[in-house]
Amino acid sequence: MTKQSELMVDGDLVRALAALLEETGLSEIEYAQGDRRIRVVRNAPTVPAVTVSMPSPSAPAGAPVAEAEPVGAVKAPMVGTAYLAPQPGAARFVNVGDHVREGQPLLVIEAMKVMNQIQAPRGGQVKEILVADGTPVEFGQILMVLE
Amino acid sequence: MFEKVLIANRGEIALRIHRACREMGIRTVAVHSTADANAMHVRLADESVCIGPPPARESYLNIPAILSAAAITGADAIHPGLGFLAENAEFAQIVGEHDLVFIGPSPEHIRLMGDKVAAKRTAQELGIPVVPGGHAVTDITEAREEADRVGFPVLIKAAAGGGGRGMRVARDRAELAQQFPIAQAEAQTFFGNGALYVERFLTKPRHIEVQILGDGQGGIVHLGGRDCSLQRKHQKLLEETPSPGLNLTDRQRIYDLAATTMAKLGYKSAGTLEFLYENGEFFFIEMNTRLQVEHPISEMVTGIDIVREQIRIADGAPLGYRQADIKFSGHAIECRINAENPETFTPSPGLVQRYHAPGGMGVRVDSALYQGYTVPPHYDSLVAKLVVHGGTRNECLMRLRRALEEFVISGIETTIPLHQQLMASEAFLNGDYDIGWFERTFNGKA
Repeated sequence: MTKQSELMVDGDLVRALAALLEETGLSEIEYAQGDRRIRVVRNAPTVPAVTVSMPSPSAPAGAPVAEAEPVGAVKAPMVGTAYLAPQPGAARFVNVGDHVREGQPLLVIEAMKVMNQIQAPRGGQVKEILVADGTPVEFGQILMVLE
Repeated sequence: MFEKVLIANRGEIALRIHRACREMGIRTVAVHSTADANAMHVRLADESVCIGPPPARESYLNIPAILSAAAITGADAIHPGLGFLAENAEFAQIVGEHDLVFIGPSPEHIRLMGDKVAAKRTAQELGIPVVPGGHAVTDITEAREEADRVGFPVLIKAAAGGGGRGMRVARDRAELAQQFPIAQAEAQTFFGNGALYVERFLTKPRHIEVQILGDGQGGIVHLGGRDCSLQRKHQKLLEETPSPGLNLTDRQRIYDLAATTMAKLGYKSAGTLEFLYENGEFFFIEMNTRLQVEHPISEMVTGIDIVREQIRIADGAPLGYRQADIKFSGHAIECRINAENPETFTPSPGLVQRYHAPGGMGVRVDSALYQGYTVPPHYDSLVAKLVVHGGTRNECLMRLRRALEEFVISGIETTIPLHQQLMASEAFLNGDYDIGWFERTFNGKA
C-alpha cells in the first residue's frame, strides 16, 4: 500500500493524459519516467480511471490497487486448480468468442482430487479467459468474462 | 525443517505465526477470507490464498478450502493458531492424513481434552485435583449426602445445562433443601431434563493457568503460570505473570504438578492447564491444547519463543533443554485491547484513521492494526495486545501506565480507556482481585 505522505500525484499530468485519451479515442495510456509510472485506463462510458504505482523496493508485494470488476465476470467459488478442458489433451470447454447458454460448463476446478464443474451463470459470449490451464486459483478470483 | 507453513488463522495471531516462521527462514502462506484481503499478515506473507467469503464457516473453518490451499501452494505444515480449527481433532487428523504436519498436539490429546467431562476424569486419574462433585443426584437426600461430601457452599447444576443457566447456590443444608426442588423444576423447563449434580461452589477464586511445552519424546517443561482473573462475562481482559495472589510455594506446587502430569500423558506441543484457586487449593477446570492469546507474557519472563518451539517440536526436534535451564525473570502483564466501546463494550469495527503504538524498553505490541486498515465486523474484537515487562510488578505497572498513555488508535473505539482505569484502581494495583472482581467493580458501566 502506498503511504499517504509519499503519494505525489501530478494533477496536470493526469489531466493531460485523460484529455489525450478523449482526443485520440484510445482506451489506455501508460507513461513511465525513471521509476515512476502512471497508467490511465478508460473503463465505463466516459470516465477514465487512473492507477498510479509508486516504486516499492522491498515493500511487501500484494496490496492490489482497486479496479472496477468487469461486468459478466465469472468468479471462482472455491480454491483449487483450474482446468480448461475435461481431460488433458481433450478440446477446451469453451474458447474466446464462443456463445454459451446459462448452465453450460466453462471450466473445472479441481479441489482435493474432486473435479468441480464451473457453469455459466447466464447466457452470453466468452469475452476473456483469465486463467491458464492447470494453474491454481483462489476464492473470488476472476476466471472468465462473459459479455 | 519445514520449507513452507500455511497459517490457518487471521488477525494478530496470524501475524505472530508469520513472524516466527520468517525468523526461522520458513516461507509463509496466508489463507484469508475476502474481508481480510488487506490484513497485515496477508500483505507480509510470501503467498496468500483467498479461501472464501467473510463468514468463518465458509473460510477459516472451511477444512476443504484450507487443505486445497495447502495443496496448490505446496505447504508442508499448517499452524492452526488459536480458536477456529485449533482444537478440532478431526482437522488435526485430516491434516495428518494429507501428508501435512499439524503444528500442535496429537489428535488423540485434542480429543481427550476437548470433551470437558472426559478431561476432568483424565485429570483426576492423573492425580490433578478437580472441583469436588459432579455426580448425578436424583433427590434431596442424595443431594445432601453429596453436598456434605464435597463441602459447602455448593452449586446445584443441571446435568444437561449450560450457558450459565440452571445453576443455584446453596450455602448450607437449609438453603440446599430450599433450592433443590426449584433447581429441578428449572432444569426441566430450560433443558427438558431435570437431572442435577452438585459441585463445590468457589466464592472468590482466581483463575490460574500453567503453560506447558512438550516434545512428545519425553521432554516436558512448564513456562510458569498466568493469572487471568480479570474477566468480564468469562472473557479475559488482562493477564499477568507471576500471579500476585499466590506465594512462591503455591505457584511452584501447581507448576510442578502440571508438568509431571503432562509428562505422564506424553503431551506434545504447547498446552495450558487452567485452574481455579481458592484458599490454598487448586481445582482443575480444563486444558487448552493449543497456543493461547496471552502466551506473550510467558515469553517475556522466560525468553522462550513459544511459537518457534511449537514449530521445532512439530518438525520432530527434542526440546533440547530441561526445566532447570529455564530462568524466570521479572514480571509481565498483557492488556487485551478490543475494538469496543470501553463502557458499553459495543463492538466498534471500522477504519483506523490514526495508529501509533507505544515503544521503549520492555514494551511489546502484538497487533495487526495499521493506519488506514479497516477492522472487519465479522470476527472477534481483539485488535491489539499490549505486553509489558518489568523487573518487578511495580516497575511493570508504571511502564504499562506509561505505554497506555502513548497508544493511539483513533477512528474506532477501543478499550484503552478501560485499561487506564484499571491502572488507577487500588485493588488492581494491589493485585487484590478474583474472577468476579471486575464485574462487581465496574457493574454500573458494563
